[in-house]
Amino acid sequence: MRLLEASLLDFRNLAEVQLSFSPGVNVLLGDNGHGKTNVLEALNYPALARSFRGARDEELIRFGSEACHLRLAIAEGEKILDIEVGLDRGGRRRMRVDGDEVHRRVELVGRLATVVFDPQTVELVRGGPEMRRRWFDQGISSVDSEYLIHLQAANRALKQKASLLRDVRRGFSSLGTVSRDLETWNAELAAHAAPLVRKRADWLSRAAQAGRDSYMDLSDEKQELQLVYKQGVGSEDPGGTDADFSREILAVLDYITSDEIRRGRCLSGPQTDDVDIILDGVSLRTYGSRGETRTAAISLKLAQAEIVYGMRGVRPVLFFDDIFSELDKDRSRKLQERTAKDHQVFIATARAEDVAGWEPAGASTWTVHEGVVTIR
Amino acid sequence: MDHATPTPREAAKGNDGGEFQSPALERLVRALGRLPGLGRKSATRIALELVQGGGETAAELAESVTAAREQVRTCSRCGAITEDDPCRICCSDKRDSALLCVVASPVDILPFEKAGFFQGRYFVLGRLLSPLDGVRVDDLPFDRLDARIREHDVRELILALDSSVEGEATALYIQRMIEDLDLSLTRLATGIPVGGALAYTDEATLHRAFQFRRSF
Repeated sequence: MRLLEASLLDFRNLAEVQLSFSPGVNVLLGDNGHGKTNVLEALNYPALARSFRGARDEELIRFGSEACHLRLAIAEGEKILDIEVGLDRGGRRRMRVDGDEVHRRVELVGRLATVVFDPQTVELVRGGPEMRRRWFDQGISSVDSEYLIHLQAANRALKQKASLLRDVRRGFSSLGTVSRDLETWNAELAAHAAPLVRKRADWLSRAAQAGRDSYMDLSDEKQELQLVYKQGVGSEDPGGTDADFSREILAVLDYITSDEIRRGRCLSGPQTDDVDIILDGVSLRTYGSRGETRTAAISLKLAQAEIVYGMRGVRPVLFFDDIFSELDKDRSRKLQERTAKDHQVFIATARAEDVAGWEPAGASTWTVHEGVVTIR
Repeated sequence: MDHATPTPREAAKGNDGGEFQSPALERLVRALGRLPGLGRKSATRIALELVQGGGETAAELAESVTAAREQVRTCSRCGAITEDDPCRICCSDKRDSALLCVVASPVDILPFEKAGFFQGRYFVLGRLLSPLDGVRVDDLPFDRLDARIREHDVRELILALDSSVEGEATALYIQRMIEDLDLSLTRLATGIPVGGALAYTDEATLHRAFQFRRSF
């Protein structure tokens, strides 16, 4: 899969930008704060139907403008996909795929497959569990459209349940009156948690294998990277249908209800899932060196790209936002050459020396200065 | 910018930025603006038509609002909107009491009645379970539903609720409530619309339709 062309209008500090891309390597050079990451953020928007930096839609509109607009032409094999997104200050989002309007995020998410490597990537290993959940939630959503539907439903059910528990804690409701409500919302949560947990277990076992291979490739020492899925709602998967599994999960949720009522919040469920990242038997989050942590985080992102290829048969577009300054020269070059072989890649960097001496055939280079993008 | 030509918004507001010179008209605009789906602009257009337009529209509207307020009530058996209590559907002896269709809102009855194929009766819940909006089990008429099922010897309960999280949770509660009763519980199917093109069906709907495919 590759991006052919993009036109951006009033996106962040980019007033009007028209770009045609190289099918191989694309480099954006420029000082920090001039808009390199903004270009990547725009190009990646359709992949998640939101900003990969976690920004709200309104923040993407250029200061002083009422709306922003982006249009991408994407090639997948012989097929060309035309995606348009418009966002305005009233919170409206218009999305079109090949000229037809789509109304829900799930209809856009995953059409464009990408993987983003940015300075935050290392947080995948170092940071809190929410960083790892975001990683696998995005990874699974991009290969399984049903996953996002269950995830959104489970989150909504959790919100409903949390509001019940909050009311009890504040004394607005008595225990007797909400117990039937809690049972009902637990059942609704469990119905969506079962497929979520199964899909996570399956995806993470693929990621474990691909991640181990990538780590071996990138590092000189032959160490073994391992992933262990820590299921928040501790119930065994009995096999059988999703309905069988959701009954098991419901039993656990009902069992902890009295604790949840005492604490006034949801304690356990798919929202507390995590992954242990282990190198040669030792937890990297606690004991990893800087180099190990960084290489592991990059290996996991590469694994995500490998799974997209394995499950959908397409190579995702890779975005490298300012990550080579964090890696030694040798490892940077290994990563660049390894990925550029199979993928279209976009590299944003302030340091020209990160890519100096590396001139893959057909590469395009732009400079980004005060929101203006010029080809070199 | 040309200051001589006011934008439509400025024109609607009047020149002094927001209010009409007539307090009565302003009051009417505000009242209309509180109705669902009407912003200030539409409210202003409607108010001007009512006040300045010819014909009987305004008088008829005023009279019909008052009459409707007096005459319209909800059916004490099923919750439908009616002028007679119990409603026409609940009273009809052509209807099959053994079939009971549960809907969230009185307007959900309309498409069924328009289509005319359903010969059972209805039960309106009023809302769906949603603690975030302050709606709990105790706020919905489940006790009345339970009594209705027992008294009328209902054989099949058909849930015609939204396929949202709130609709699903409400359905789950009803499922548990009637667990020990001897009747069949069904939900409306979700899938590809009749006459709809497969290519334009969204993935979620297609997935449901596939999951619940039937032998042919």
